[in-house]
Amino acid sequence: MKLRGLFSIAILPLLSGCSTDRFRLFHPDSPVSAVEWRFTLIDVGTMLLIILPVTLLAIVFFWRYRKSRNAEYDPSWSHSMGLELMMWGIPIVIVAFLGYESYRSTLLVNPFNPTALNMNDPANPPLEVDVITTDWQWIFVYPQYGIATIDDLPVVAGRPVKLYLTSTSVTNDFFIPQVAPMIDVMPGMRTADAFQVNKPASFEGFSADFSGAGFSWMEFSTRVLAAPDFAKWVAATQSAPDQLSYAAFTKLAEPTVNVGAKPSYFSHADPNLLLEAYNAARAGTVYAVPEQLKIETSSVDYTQGKNGTN
Amino acid sequence: MFVHLQGPYSFLFGRLTLAAIPYNNAIIQFAFVFAAIAALLVVAPVLYYRKIPYLFREWLTTVDHKKIGVMYIIVGLVMMFRGFFDGLMIRTQQVMADGPHSAGHLEAAHGYLPPSHFDQIYSSHGTIMIIFAATPILTGLGNIIVPLQIGARDMAFPTMNAISLWLTTVGAALIMASLFIGDFSTAGWVGLIPLTELDFSPSAGVDYWMWAIQISSVGTTLNAINVIATIITMRAPGMRWDRLPIFTWTTLSTSIIGLTSFPILGVALALLGADRYLGTHFYTAGLGGNLMLYTNLFWIWGHPEVYFLVLPAFGILSEVVPVFAEKPLFGYITMVAATFAIAGVSWLVWLHHFFTMGAGPKVNSFFSVATMAVGIPTGVKVFNWLFTLYRGRITFDTPMLWAAGALFLLLAGGLTGMMLAIPAINYMVHNSVFVVAHFHCMVLVIVYAIFAAVIFWFPKVFGFKLDERSGKWFFWCFTLGTLLVFTAMFGLGFMGETRRLDYLYDTDWFPALEIEEIGIGFYSLSCLLFGWMLFVSIRDRAKLKPVNDPWGKARTLEWLTRSPVPFYNFAVTPHVNTRDELTFRYLNHLSTEPDHFEAIHMPRNTPIPIIIGALAFGFGFGITWRIWWMTGLSLLGIIAVVIYRSFARDTGYHLSAEVMSQLEHEPPLGVIAESQFLSKRPLGGAGAH
Repeated sequence: MKLRGLFSIAILPLLSGCSTDRFRLFHPDSPVSAVEWRFTLIDVGTMLLIILPVTLLAIVFFWRYRKSRNAEYDPSWSHSMGLELMMWGIPIVIVAFLGYESYRSTLLVNPFNPTALNMNDPANPPLEVDVITTDWQWIFVYPQYGIATIDDLPVVAGRPVKLYLTSTSVTNDFFIPQVAPMIDVMPGMRTADAFQVNKPASFEGFSADFSGAGFSWMEFSTRVLAAPDFAKWVAATQSAPDQLSYAAFTKLAEPTVNVGAKPSYFSHADPNLLLEAYNAARAGTVYAVPEQLKIETSSVDYTQGKNGTN
Repeated sequence: MFVHLQGPYSFLFGRLTLAAIPYNNAIIQFAFVFAAIAALLVVAPVLYYRKIPYLFREWLTTVDHKKIGVMYIIVGLVMMFRGFFDGLMIRTQQVMADGPHSAGHLEAAHGYLPPSHFDQIYSSHGTIMIIFAATPILTGLGNIIVPLQIGARDMAFPTMNAISLWLTTVGAALIMASLFIGDFSTAGWVGLIPLTELDFSPSAGVDYWMWAIQISSVGTTLNAINVIATIITMRAPGMRWDRLPIFTWTTLSTSIIGLTSFPILGVALALLGADRYLGTHFYTAGLGGNLMLYTNLFWIWGHPEVYFLVLPAFGILSEVVPVFAEKPLFGYITMVAATFAIAGVSWLVWLHHFFTMGAGPKVNSFFSVATMAVGIPTGVKVFNWLFTLYRGRITFDTPMLWAAGALFLLLAGGLTGMMLAIPAINYMVHNSVFVVAHFHCMVLVIVYAIFAAVIFWFPKVFGFKLDERSGKWFFWCFTLGTLLVFTAMFGLGFMGETRRLDYLYDTDWFPALEIEEIGIGFYSLSCLLFGWMLFVSIRDRAKLKPVNDPWGKARTLEWLTRSPVPFYNFAVTPHVNTRDELTFRYLNHLSTEPDHFEAIHMPRNTPIPIIIGALAFGFGFGITWRIWWMTGLSLLGIIAVVIYRSFARDTGYHLSAEVMSQLEHEPPLGVIAESQFLSKRPLGGAGAH
């Protein structure tokens, strides 16, 4: 039992070959995630100051005062003012300290304006991306460039990324482990998020909040490109044959499962798509999921049974 | 009709058609065969030994708080097994459906469950474990123990107590019905909004979920009223507030939470019902609705509900630890203060369930600090148990093992809970399985306490102890399962696995998923061991012969009366001198036997509660399938039965002093046999006022 209290974090690397590579969240790649990881360590360290002695004390007491050992037995002792003051006092001090740290860290990673990132540098303005979730795809609109993608999020290394998010259908949760904190994506509401990666890399992103039958396939790739590569990609996408007006968008927003998250690219994307999707949701536009749901995919053909039971 | 429904509709059967019965699904077929065999095993002996009249007379119509408690616990354990089976299926699906090359079986592309079936299973797992397993078992324990601990003869409202039981049972029955008729919600036990709206969940699944919870929560609210009234008004002479056993204190605090929070859930679900049935827009994204309204309302109930469950668990630990350390509880007043501090702060923390909704840093910080503040009184409780052990004389009987396990789990759950309370950390793991592992740690504190309590108080009710040897095997097997499943799950959270995935795309997770599967194997084994423990104990019950205090060192008032406890609890209401009354009487060589007998008044059994329960099932089933004639008639029936009952005057009977003397000198027969004995004998005065 003691193992779980003490080493729940430490034991798994041992089991999986003494490497923490699998533990992605231990290796943050964005300043925001680095703050999150730093405060995780501060919190666990502070808490272990109390959890560790209490665990040890419990083990010692269970061992030492078991009946067969005939240790000192004092059935009348059940009150001590000093101890009781201490056992209220220590948790209060710890919670006060962690409460202060919590407030400090919350400002640093505030999704609307994370002070861990420099969002207001005129020499390096943030890359703006509007994120719209449908059932069950991610649509990324780059209003600064008039382009859009499905399930692919290329960004620039060393440049902060500012996201605005809304949904056409149900609530999702935007998440890129190691990079971007989770933020809810809700219909008829707008949220924001921000991140920055300094070196070219690629990450998987996905929805973290259950959104229906296609939820498990709701992935997107996050490609961090060097500035010249990103410029090349933007130029190429700006001449993509498919275009994304609001009318075209309403067809994409119908329930679709994109198995394997195959990306699509659009030129001439409506820069106000997010606002239009948001306004439409508030005006009552709903992309209903049919009861006899048939999810067509390229690799598998799901036929949902009657009433979705099978 | 107010809303547009997909699919056929008829007056007689509502939305229900033959197509709603998934007879062609292999998994459902298996479940049906399993359930049929289990039902046969229960029903066949009852028929063979012609026990139906006995069952009806002594159990189904009873108003005895102990029998009601036992039935609560049976319902809870059956549902816990169902919930465990759901958990087993979830784990097996995830280990089978990892990576794009994982094989698909039955109708699934990966694993053996297609998404909509998997989604129903995890939704029913959560709903069942919280609302239909933990809640009824703890309610049942409170029902049995609280009146005994305060020296009362029954609950304040015995008939309402039975109604509470049957309403909870109806909720559980609706969930079981959804397995074979129609489907269940896919939107999680929390009812993710707006996924539960008709546009996104058009089938009857969400309606099953909604009405099952709604009906059972009426039962829970009524029970909370009952417990509060009982504790305030029915304490034995001398049972002052500062002498109340801790379990009674925690049950009181929990009932106050229940009474104040369950109506919020009722409103939250009623508004959802209005959206789904009447076409209103309380929670829709558009047309003036606000989906976060639901999320707030749900968690304003949901977080206090967590403490509704965990406080009695803390109470159980506070009863078990002193008994097996043979010392009074350290810091009684501090313990009571900590209990009510937790109950109070539990109202101020609900927003931490959706830190990621995009609230500003100041809102999130407030709820962060409030959440951490819960850690203060909880820490105090841990210290209290710790110093109770200090200079004790500890024996590791099975209840103590479970209590020790709960203590260590609480430390693990507390450590991870303090992590999740910080928004900056929460943003990283909010919807990950790290959260799932954390709250399972906390829920397992409750489960461990439940097993401690069931084993500890079993002889009080049935007159013989459960077998210690198989009980210890059960404990270690269960604990090994807990360690494997949830250590791996904490790790998976940091590997980036999120919740509720029916297909997992990352093969890095596979080793940890395998560890979880091995762990769930140990859990399965422990289910069998639990059954084995019951079997061995019942087989050898003569050896584990009844004595009033089977543990030899019990402390509180409930052990003062005989074990198995007679239907009237105490022949003579005891006079309470101190906190640990039984220990006090032992030490001062006071008598634990009554010195005289007097006439008592007992409530009479009535079929009204089970009739109300049957009508409530008709209401729930009818409204789920929109069979309006059934819904309307059931509702009218309930109202008529309640009015009819309100005219009943003959609701109790007297037992004379001679009969009491006679009963007390009979050999104890056990709670099951005892009142059967009563009903067989013509008792002077029984039946008259």
